[in-house]
Amino acid sequence: MARVGVFVCFCGANIADYVDVPQVVEEVKRIRDVKYAIEYKYMCSDPGQGMIRDAIVQYKLTSIVVAACSPRMHEKTFRKALSDAGMNPYLLEVANIREHSSWVHQKDKKAATEKAMDLCRMAVAKSIANEQLHEISVPVTKRALVIGGGIAGIQAALDIADARIPVVLVEKSPSIGGKMAQLDETFPTLDCSQCILTPKMVDVASHPYIELIPYAEVLELQGFVGNYKVKIKKKASYVNFKTCTGCGACWQKCPVKVPNEYNMGIDKRKAIYTPFPQAVPNKPVIDAEHCTMLLKGKCGICAKVCLPGAIDYKMEDEIIEREIGAVVVATGYDMWDPKPYEEYGVGRFKDIITSLEFERMVSANGPTNGVPVRPSDGKVPKNVVFIKCIGSRDEAKGIEYCSKICCMYTTKHTILLHHKVHDSHSYVFYMDIRAAGKGYEEFVKKAQVDTGATYLRGRVSKIYKKGDKLMVRGEDAQIGQVVEVEADLVVLATAVIAPKDNPDLARLLGISYDKYGYLSEAHPKLRPVETAKAGIFLAGCTQAPKDIPDTVSQASACAAKVCGLFSGDTMKKDPMVSTISNEYCSGCQNCVKVCPYGAIVTDEVPVGHGSKELRTVAKINEGVCQGCGSCVAICRSMAITLAGFTDPQIINEIVSI
Amino acid sequence: MITLGTQGKNTFLEAVNVKSGANVLECYQCGKCVSTCPVSQYMDFPPREIMQMIKLGLRNECYMANSHWFCLTCSACSGRCPREIDIPAVMEAVRHLAIEENTINTSTKVKEIRKFHQIFLEMIKRYGRNYELRMMAEFNIRTRNLFKDMHLAPKALLKGKIPLGVKPLKSAKAIKRMYEIAEKLEKKK
Repeated sequence: MARVGVFVCFCGANIADYVDVPQVVEEVKRIRDVKYAIEYKYMCSDPGQGMIRDAIVQYKLTSIVVAACSPRMHEKTFRKALSDAGMNPYLLEVANIREHSSWVHQKDKKAATEKAMDLCRMAVAKSIANEQLHEISVPVTKRALVIGGGIAGIQAALDIADARIPVVLVEKSPSIGGKMAQLDETFPTLDCSQCILTPKMVDVASHPYIELIPYAEVLELQGFVGNYKVKIKKKASYVNFKTCTGCGACWQKCPVKVPNEYNMGIDKRKAIYTPFPQAVPNKPVIDAEHCTMLLKGKCGICAKVCLPGAIDYKMEDEIIEREIGAVVVATGYDMWDPKPYEEYGVGRFKDIITSLEFERMVSANGPTNGVPVRPSDGKVPKNVVFIKCIGSRDEAKGIEYCSKICCMYTTKHTILLHHKVHDSHSYVFYMDIRAAGKGYEEFVKKAQVDTGATYLRGRVSKIYKKGDKLMVRGEDAQIGQVVEVEADLVVLATAVIAPKDNPDLARLLGISYDKYGYLSEAHPKLRPVETAKAGIFLAGCTQAPKDIPDTVSQASACAAKVCGLFSGDTMKKDPMVSTISNEYCSGCQNCVKVCPYGAIVTDEVPVGHGSKELRTVAKINEGVCQGCGSCVAICRSMAITLAGFTDPQIINEIVSI
Repeated sequence: MITLGTQGKNTFLEAVNVKSGANVLECYQCGKCVSTCPVSQYMDFPPREIMQMIKLGLRNECYMANSHWFCLTCSACSGRCPREIDIPAVMEAVRHLAIEENTINTSTKVKEIRKFHQIFLEMIKRYGRNYELRMMAEFNIRTRNLFKDMHLAPKALLKGKIPLGVKPLKSAKAIKRMYEIAEKLEKKK
């Protein structure tokens, strides 16, 4: 015989104002199996929990029902109260009489009370069939994979490695550093981007706990939290990194010139190259798309000048496999191509450039040695117009969101321009100035007051050519008049967009992404670094546009999450998982298809006892299973059971009302 | 249409800043001055727009506006300005520059305001203080509107708001001397 204890909560006035709690208690007492029922003002409070603990001992209760708020809120609290009283915590049932009754039926107290009674009856009936469950222990491989070697990936890798956890850092391009390596100075302090980044890059390369795999990409991820297996494709670099000394003779002699991606195509690089002088690792790779030796079999100069003989034209892509326990995704962002702005003459007028191109120009190691020039005639510009929100917040261009960083980097550009060309003048067309951040508003004031940048509120309507100048027309809403600015150079603050490979990567990892291609966090506020898949975390702009401080914070948060995950040799996991009875499984594999977590695989078992003949059945990996119940619903043979939601439990609930 | 970027340096902004002692660039266009100002509704351009026009270097547009003439210099705006800009000083600077460069709004209202200023100064020069009755009479005569506000006179007289005579200050002579020196200096320029 079951002995159920029921504890009904007032939740201050939240429940008591709309549900007659004492009446619910009276009603519940009539149920045969209920041996104890009581109401209290705040069940979640310490005295409230004490009542539960005392009643368990005093009345020898076999299961507990708490009628209070949503289980999302306090299920864990009450489970702990049960454990403290020496009871299996999974013998708890929560009847949600707040969100499901008092809050939604505030106009009808009688109906709300009746519904609360029904919810309690159901919970009591279910709890009678509750079984003792035990947390599952899953072994953990203490090694983390970090995808992307920008500042987010670098920070996450360093923080994890500093906790003496091995890290595999995979970077797509030949060097780590990412977008931050392309920046000149950073807002709002104007410290040199390279100066603060390159020491971290060197730390990554020399860290004993970090295995850096540049020029590579992730091909496949299998397994579950704590026990993933990853396949990494290391692209052929045609240079043996072990023997190469990075002397640079090869790229000095290489005759093939290719637009330099690092400098936004403003100058050329060679077909054998390192992306930039401070690259880590500082070893060149051969660009197979442009190398004449690889394309036509002619040339071979780099091999001739390479004294250590590190050039190997026959090198092939290599597949590397690693066992890992957690993944940090930090694939960063791309800049939007402003071509759709035909009214601005993008593509037609050479003197319209993007912000990242401007950034490279004003950068000391840039293609113009730190002096901005007009691409058309190489002259130093005097009047420069900056246009913000290029793509961002432009629904007609398909980007509804604010890119968050453009206001600040444009502010920085006006200041940098003033530093480099003293007699220049900046005009900024803007819709809003979004300067939320430490020291940001002050930085904008610095640009407006100290550098005297003219801010004009409005979107530019068109740009046309007048002689060798560009006429930029827009409204200044502050005086309600149309203005035209005669500009030498126009800089477009293009939107931040998700890397175009993100959806593919998300599918490969089994995580979700939004309509823009940004990877989705588990909860927008309370779980911003986790994904819905256990053991996979997000850092930096791959989740949403953000600036460097936010990116670094999120990367460190990821590291803390990974370290927490790896804190024990095994991981504890909720026992609410599905199990399959091989006897009933017909091997139809419908469950394999519906499982959103990839927790179900096929297995082969003997047809009968001792038989050598095999038949296919489904097999659930309880480490991956999140207990959603999809497989239970789809299984036509009723072979699958979800612990905590068994058929007897559900049927009891239905019968009770 | 306003064309920017063709004049080179914004000399107008510099002149206003020097003359007023304020920095117009500090203005971030919040508009608190506009809603504070008791006369902004009578201005061509409210103070916020004047500030932006100075920033853009729209010298003539600014001079030809009536805003700085309507400004009462009550300082309510600067008292509430979050960037603590001395807006009345900016208005005054624009007034001075407009007179110096002889680019003044020609509307009747502005002419009347300027006459009012002139008569007030004459009163001070003569008596060392204001003589309300005479000032009113002079203003009505010079603006050729003899009976303006005349219906208010009996009430005001009965309440003693308009003294019939005036007792010049003891220091009136010294004040007159100040005027003469100032006028001499003005001529030297």
